[in-house]
Amino acid sequence: MSKSIHDMGWDELVLGAAVHSFKEEIDYNPSQVLPENRDYAETNSKYKYVGDWRVFKPVWNTDLCIHCQFCWLYCPDTSILSREKKMIGFDYDHCKGCGICQEVCPTNPKSIIMFTEQTEEEEALNQWPEKKGSK
Amino acid sequence: MLEIRWHSRAGQGAVTGAKGLGSVVAETGKEVQAFAFYGSAKRGASMTAYNRIDDKKILNHEKYMNPDYVFILDPGLAYTDDITANATDETKYIITSHLSKDEVIAKIPALHGIEDRVFVLDCFTIAQETIGRAIPNTPMLGAFMKVSGMFELEYFQNAMKSVLSKLPQKIIDANMVAIERAYNEVH
Amino acid sequence: MNSKIMELNKVEVWDGNMAATQAMRQADIDVVAAYPITPSTPVVENYATFHANGYIDGEFVMVESEHAAMSGCVGAAAAGGRVATATSSQGLALMVEVLYQASGMRLPMVLNIVNRALASPLNVNGDHSDLYLTRDSGWISLCTFSPQEVYDMNLCAFKIGEHMDVRLPVIVNQDGFLSSHTAQNIYPLQDKEACDFVGEYKPLNAMLDFSRPVTHGVQTEEDWHFEHKAKQHDALMNSTKVIAEVFAEFEKLSGRKYNFVESYKMEDAEIAIVVLGTTYESAQLAVDKMREEGIKAGVVAIRVFRPFPLKEVSDMLQNVKAVACMDRSAPGGSVGALYNEISGALFNSPARPLLSNIIYGLGGRDMTIGVLCDIYRDLDAEAKAGKLNGSIQRFVGVRGPELKYYKV
Repeated sequence: MSKSIHDMGWDELVLGAAVHSFKEEIDYNPSQVLPENRDYAETNSKYKYVGDWRVFKPVWNTDLCIHCQFCWLYCPDTSILSREKKMIGFDYDHCKGCGICQEVCPTNPKSIIMFTEQTEEEEALNQWPEKKGSK
Repeated sequence: MLEIRWHSRAGQGAVTGAKGLGSVVAETGKEVQAFAFYGSAKRGASMTAYNRIDDKKILNHEKYMNPDYVFILDPGLAYTDDITANATDETKYIITSHLSKDEVIAKIPALHGIEDRVFVLDCFTIAQETIGRAIPNTPMLGAFMKVSGMFELEYFQNAMKSVLSKLPQKIIDANMVAIERAYNEVH
Repeated sequence: MNSKIMELNKVEVWDGNMAATQAMRQADIDVVAAYPITPSTPVVENYATFHANGYIDGEFVMVESEHAAMSGCVGAAAAGGRVATATSSQGLALMVEVLYQASGMRLPMVLNIVNRALASPLNVNGDHSDLYLTRDSGWISLCTFSPQEVYDMNLCAFKIGEHMDVRLPVIVNQDGFLSSHTAQNIYPLQDKEACDFVGEYKPLNAMLDFSRPVTHGVQTEEDWHFEHKAKQHDALMNSTKVIAEVFAEFEKLSGRKYNFVESYKMEDAEIAIVVLGTTYESAQLAVDKMREEGIKAGVVAIRVFRPFPLKEVSDMLQNVKAVACMDRSAPGGSVGALYNEISGALFNSPARPLLSNIIYGLGGRDMTIGVLCDIYRDLDAEAKAGKLNGSIQRFVGVRGPELKYYKV
């Protein structure tokens, strides 16, 4: 399908509004292929940019992270990027800024903290809170 | 077109009987219809079942019927149901009762004067003594064969065997005895 | 084909429910998800018995409601299987939400609706309230008038809905009790014949096709919803071609011919009634009686209720003087549905017969040959007078004062 769905009339759409994930038939197991190497279809949510929904963004402190993968597991938009069970950053095109990653982060202080969208990463890291002492 | 109305209580096998009769008759190349009205009635409630038999395809789906035969499967219904409803001058009645024919007719004014079209037998006792359960449907059909002369007893018994084929052999045999007794005892 | 074959007699005595179940059994269905309700209960009961006795290779799922039954069917159809279920009345009402999902998602399946009145008051007997409830649901809707036709239409329904040019769900309607619980002679096909006719199920955009992962049941707002509904309507309207082909193929196989609109003695009829359901067959007996009285009566019945055969029914009524459209459903503040359809069909045609609307048979009220004859006599009088007798709509067979609406 070379034509964009935006240019299609009623007669050209896939019947039943079924949405295929990939452009063509695949002969591999997608779970064995990294997302960047998958040939997603135009209608896949991969190409649906929702980053501008965000008011607060997550910032990651690599010094504190223990790579427990809680954030990866809980993120409702699969926007935690992880390779070989190590966190490598955020997918800011799809992160909506819900803050669940901060909520579930178990380190003290947190390794992920939400900052306003305009806060620069360096500035955010400079403001990182101290470890909370136990009394 | 031959039309039959069954008066029964839900659970006495009128629907099964009507369908069974339909199956037997269909095998002879005739067209049949068997249906019933019981709505959401419970076991024991009065209900009616119907048969139509014809040489050509049956198109009639009205519930209204001028029956050629009326079967009464429960003694009480002979008194409480309107068993002569929409009857003709030739309608025949087969009634199950422990009473004698004269005793039955004496208590039902609607049957006075048509004694020659009333036939009585005790389907309950026959079913109880042969099948072991008071299900009056197969004895009623045995009596019907005698009264109508529709089929020879032996032919009908064989045809019923295939209708009842899913039942245990013992029950099938008992039904055959019940049919024969009813055939001989109806008067 | 199912691994265990059932030998059938040349003639079987089945009621409409058993006829539906037998066709379903022969169609080799992958999933039946069902929640029984009177008078369609035996369809499900019989199927469960066949399943328990090894005659069904597919899955049989008992669910917790009709909504769940249709949802289960939608899921199984989206996964890529042949699917069917059955319901009636209140059950259908609960199912309606999901009917629109099934047709919108373009999932072929067969739904047997054993037509029954809708409460309140609660009633288990036959009328067409539930049939009309499915009018705009986007399903193909086939009507049957006898148990034999229930069997035949079920086999055709799978073949029609699953055709690659159609891919829509199909309803097979039958009258509660008058067909569903009425045993009559049925001339069935043997298992192999029936199964070969229905053919192998061909999946399309199946969720279990891992080489082409797919999402079903998506959201489209004003950007694409209209286009999808347009495409769906187009498929439904153009399904007539496939329906005609399947009917023709079925005739070759069985000798039984089906048309979009059925009729009896319409060739020279001067007055006619238009009906649905078993009334069509009873009315033929009334037509014969009228002909003996010298009244040229005819009867027309809609076989394919959706897509509606507008032209065929209009053509059928070009030469009559008076027509009564008979609706077996409470009209809810207007003329009956059939009256609407027929007047719409005739409006752009040259014919202008007198057109009246009769409401009858609600909740299973008997429609006798005698009453049908009375209706024909009234129609004949109207035709001779050249005008309707006072009003467009009237109730027939209801106790109490005469009930008429829309004075003319």
